Amino acid sequence: MTALLLLLIPFVTATLLMVLRPTERARGIALGSTLASLAVALVLWAGFPGGTVTDLHTAWLPSIALDFSLGHDGIGLLMLLLTSVAFPFIIGAGYGERLRHPSLVNALLLYTQCFLYGVFLAQNVVLFYIFYELSLIPVFFLLLYWGGEHRRSITVRFFIYTLLGGMALLFGIVYCLVQPGMDGSMDALGRLQLPVGTQTWLFWALFLAFAIKLPIFPFHGWQPDTYTVAPMQGVMVLAAVMLKMGLYGVVKVVLPAVPDGALYWQRTVIVLSLVGAVYAAIIALRQHDLRRLIAYSSMSHVGVMCAGLFAWNHFGLTGALFQALAHAVLVLAMLYITGALKERTGTSGMGAMGGLKLRMPRLAVLFMLVVMNGISLPLFQSFVGEWLVFNGLWEVDRWLTFMAVTTIVLGAIYMLYAYQRVMLGPDKWQLEVHDAGLRDHLVLVPLIAITLVLGAYPGPILELVDGPALTLLSLFP
Amino acid sequence: MSALILLSVLGVVLMFMGLRGMRDKLLPVAVAGLLGALALLVAGRGLEWPVLTDGMMRFDGYALGFSRALVVFTLLLFLFAIDYYSKVRENVAEILALMIFALVGAVVMAGYTNLLVLFLAVEVMSIPLYILAGGKRDSLRSGEASIKYFLQGSFASGFFLLGIALVYGSCASFDLATVQAHAAAAGADDRLFLLGLFFTISGLAFKVAAVPFHFWSPDVYEGSPTLITAYMNTVVKTAAFAAFYRLIEHMQLPFAVHAMLLLMTACTLLLGNLVALRQTHFKRLLAYSAIAHTGFLMLALLSPGPRTPDVLYYYLVTYALATVGLFIVLTITKRASRGDEHIRTFRGMFRTAPWVAIVTMLLLLSLAGIPLTAGFLAKYRVFMLSLEAGYLWTTGLAVLMALVGIYYYVIVIREAFTPQPDALPLRVSTVNWVLISLCGIAVVLFAVMPQWLAL
Repeated sequence: MTALLLLLIPFVTATLLMVLRPTERARGIALGSTLASLAVALVLWAGFPGGTVTDLHTAWLPSIALDFSLGHDGIGLLMLLLTSVAFPFIIGAGYGERLRHPSLVNALLLYTQCFLYGVFLAQNVVLFYIFYELSLIPVFFLLLYWGGEHRRSITVRFFIYTLLGGMALLFGIVYCLVQPGMDGSMDALGRLQLPVGTQTWLFWALFLAFAIKLPIFPFHGWQPDTYTVAPMQGVMVLAAVMLKMGLYGVVKVVLPAVPDGALYWQRTVIVLSLVGAVYAAIIALRQHDLRRLIAYSSMSHVGVMCAGLFAWNHFGLTGALFQALAHAVLVLAMLYITGALKERTGTSGMGAMGGLKLRMPRLAVLFMLVVMNGISLPLFQSFVGEWLVFNGLWEVDRWLTFMAVTTIVLGAIYMLYAYQRVMLGPDKWQLEVHDAGLRDHLVLVPLIAITLVLGAYPGPILELVDGPALTLLSLFP
Repeated sequence: MSALILLSVLGVVLMFMGLRGMRDKLLPVAVAGLLGALALLVAGRGLEWPVLTDGMMRFDGYALGFSRALVVFTLLLFLFAIDYYSKVRENVAEILALMIFALVGAVVMAGYTNLLVLFLAVEVMSIPLYILAGGKRDSLRSGEASIKYFLQGSFASGFFLLGIALVYGSCASFDLATVQAHAAAAGADDRLFLLGLFFTISGLAFKVAAVPFHFWSPDVYEGSPTLITAYMNTVVKTAAFAAFYRLIEHMQLPFAVHAMLLLMTACTLLLGNLVALRQTHFKRLLAYSAIAHTGFLMLALLSPGPRTPDVLYYYLVTYALATVGLFIVLTITKRASRGDEHIRTFRGMFRTAPWVAIVTMLLLLSLAGIPLTAGFLAKYRVFMLSLEAGYLWTTGLAVLMALVGIYYYVIVIREAFTPQPDALPLRVSTVNWVLISLCGIAVVLFAVMPQWLAL
């Protein structure tokens, strides 16, 4: 029943915010709610016995294979932790953003959190789908109301792009559900045993949604524009958490339901992911805007993670899932710094910055630490994930590893180049800016601490994903 | 059966009240009569009067369920009429009485077991509608709608009757069970029967506005008074589908007819959705979306099984709730903008009337089929049925077209939630406010508790 709290806390708080509209205290209330959720998630982690835990199982509509059943295994728990850790920072970033109608913004964010929890907790395929689609609705309104220029058309494009995948997923799920012996639970997907010929096409019906969500090349058309116009908190939600829904979906739906299909398309997907990763990294080199740079770097990282999943061995799977957490922390920190810089300089364009380290030495240090995580230096969290993924890819084909490593090299170039343009050089603009304050420390220091602790001691997280990864590998035909 | 008699008497009483000039008592009497009929249907009293109908009608659970739905839709629309005709003094009695007469036909369509009764029912339902479509006597477009509907409807009726005659010529009976038995026995070899079935189905396809028998619907929907458009979209459509499914439920369709129906489904899905993409006027958009939904319903219709009636019922009721609500919203915005039906009149709605905007969003999301609204569950169940029946490609097309549908509904939602500094104030009467709230809550409630909406 504890898991039900994860759904209820954000939902009830969000509804109260919508109804009561406490403009001044909205952020504080939302922050409290997310911290409470975090506490619940930590309780879940502390009491996690391994295997799959069923928290709640209520028959809802047996005739269409829909049960309200919540539960989690190690991977689900990892995602729950990720969501719980991310949201306090996302809400906290709102203090700097100062969007209009804070009660509405925070209510929408909390609804998103609730639906994301739903995605990661659902043990029924239809329930999973329902939450998966629902999580899109609050983000739609965040973009539509608080987005930047051209938001009207970009929002609709984002929505339709995502739902294109969603509809394909619906088709695939319904196709799986009408098979004999299917009771609608997520576990039953792994027992499907469809003919190989069917699996080869069904794979794309199921995978398309997650490929768009991640996004991997060539399904990324919605991403850069959306990241540019969305309000900072919206981007944080998209990049830090929603993107992981794609990874989670691949692990929980695609691989168990169509293992032969995944094997058939393994090379294709890995190559697409890595081509996309390198391509995005090259584009990131040429960006002058920090947010667009983060958008492309995010796409580059995700490509590597997706390739790791499809390497389909122990290294690849655990590495990709570990990297999911690492990437969330990285992106949150990067976006927060972008927001902090924009708050001070009024822009996120790197051309209008430079030499800022002279004026804000503390922020420069924090930024440097984040960048070091971004380029996967040892002792940082990203290094562990990347290292495992590369090992996994090596077992498939060493040339793939070569491609994947290229993204690290390019990543180091664009990250350091960005740092150079923002912080180093002469103080040519003479901007009157103040250094990192208490709020910035409260956000960035914990994030950096997480990266360092888990970089040095990744055991607890790797243990979580170890068991489920072995189960998945046993499906390997 | 007693409900049918009550409804017929109600229609006559309303006519006489109109003659006596009792304008103010019309709606209370009509609503009371409908509630009475609903009570009789719920109680299930006097269902089998075989002596009177000679076994040509049977009010089983299926017919009773659909009849209840039809009466409830009419009830909702009459409540909407309180506001819609609040300023009109003349001819209201006739309009209400004609709607009641059409309802009688619709109820019979749900319960027929004889093709001749079906024909009578279709005519009883249609003839009042030809008049109702021209209800706005000073509007050219309304007159055009009426004439168009009448001419095309008469042709369709002619073919329908021809079809019934040919079927009769082939199996020497109007009785539904005999016809269905004949289809299983003779099937495709009987050319006469095949042709008869083809024409009969075309007649029904005209009523549900399936491509290529849809040409009347956009113009008629657009030209008719909004209340009547809503009536056609809910009562007529539901009755037509109830009749359609009753006809083919136990029938082993010959291959040619089956293929034709499948092709019609695919074309309806394609045309309805793709043309709706280009619409900028909300009423016309709803007309094309009505065609699109016909496509989804046809897909369910073609997948017979024990659950199909339930799915059809669920889809039709939730669709009707959403459309009734949206037509009321359309009336509200149209009044505020002095007759403009363009979707940009929705702009700024969230600012001026937040609750109306939220309900509009829920109703549109339901039509689009987004989870946690009834529309999603309806579509989901249709896809499940059709995949079980093995229509892989058609279902794939339907899923794709559902995506197209989401696009044009989302555009409207976007308009409603786009700020507009000089947005016109929306005046919502209490009864309309209650009605749209009911519809909005119902589409969410029935998504969470679909078992409350079973036959």
